[in-house]
Amino acid sequence: MDIYGNIRKLAKSVKSQNLFQAVKEINGLRLFDNESNLSKIQQIYLSYLYFYDTINRDIVIDKISKRVFESELYEDSYMLYKKEKGFDKKEKDSKKHDVKLVMSNKINFPSSEDK
Amino acid sequence: MNQIKENVREEEAKKLLNEINESGDLNIVDEMIKNNQIEFEINDKKYRVRLLNLKEKIDLDILRRKKFGQLIQDKDILLEKDLIKVYKERGINIEEIDDKMSKIKAEVNDKQILLGESIAKNDGETILKTYSDQIKNLNDELNILFLQKTTLLEFSLENQLLNYIAQIITFLSTDVMNEEGYYRRMWKTVEEFIDSSENDLINKAGSASMILQYSI
Repeated sequence: MDIYGNIRKLAKSVKSQNLFQAVKEINGLRLFDNESNLSKIQQIYLSYLYFYDTINRDIVIDKISKRVFESELYEDSYMLYKKEKGFDKKEKDSKKHDVKLVMSNKINFPSSEDK
Repeated sequence: MNQIKENVREEEAKKLLNEINESGDLNIVDEMIKNNQIEFEINDKKYRVRLLNLKEKIDLDILRRKKFGQLIQDKDILLEKDLIKVYKERGINIEEIDDKMSKIKAEVNDKQILLGESIAKNDGETILKTYSDQIKNLNDELNILFLQKTTLLEFSLENQLLNYIAQIITFLSTDVMNEEGYYRRMWKTVEEFIDSSENDLINKAGSASMILQYSI
């Protein structure tokens, strides 16, 4: 049995992804019997849960098509491209400009006359 | 016509069987991930491989240091760096293999980024296939070089120590189920483990314990 291949398939499955979302949102829900001291396979599984969660999110916001799921090489390559080109960084940078703070010494509090 | 129908039915049956096997494998992996245990049966006996506890990790560390002390005093066993020098004197350059591997890895990385970009841009099938084939060929080359290097360094002190650690982890983490249905340690002493002729069990438990352990 190809353990690592199956860990990846399991993390990609709808059931695991749904459970992962629930664990993130519901306090007290756990993925593993142990809370700490994660084993090697648990660490690998967890990293693949995040990996597929990221791809699923990108599909939802139309950043990428479902075609990425055609092969594991496509998935790996897309994630590597995303990391290397840092288009998440660009996105965050553009979001920073959405809120502009204007510094000023003059603050106009509503006076009693305005009421 | 009947022959075609028969073939299609056979294909469907094979596909279904594969799916069942796959989902069975996934269930096993699912359980394994949840509780950090791998259970298996050999000749109607139940065995379990689990994570080492603190006491066992300390035992492992003591045995590892003891083995290192023995290996370092043995003049017939060379450290990896010394073995590389000996090979170089005989015309085999492991540093060259390393350089080739680094270059191929960088090339694979670049091609993967290009493939990732093509996927993000939703490029045509031909472009994706071209990059995929190039990456596959590079990875094949990389695997051959890796195998070459691993074979050449098989007898280094470092590798012998790693093999010994793997054996000791197998010895410490394998349990057998007794008649009352409780798990007990399979082997009581290292000597008993080394003298054991149960090769099937040792191989299976060995690969299972390597999957589970991550830090010693």
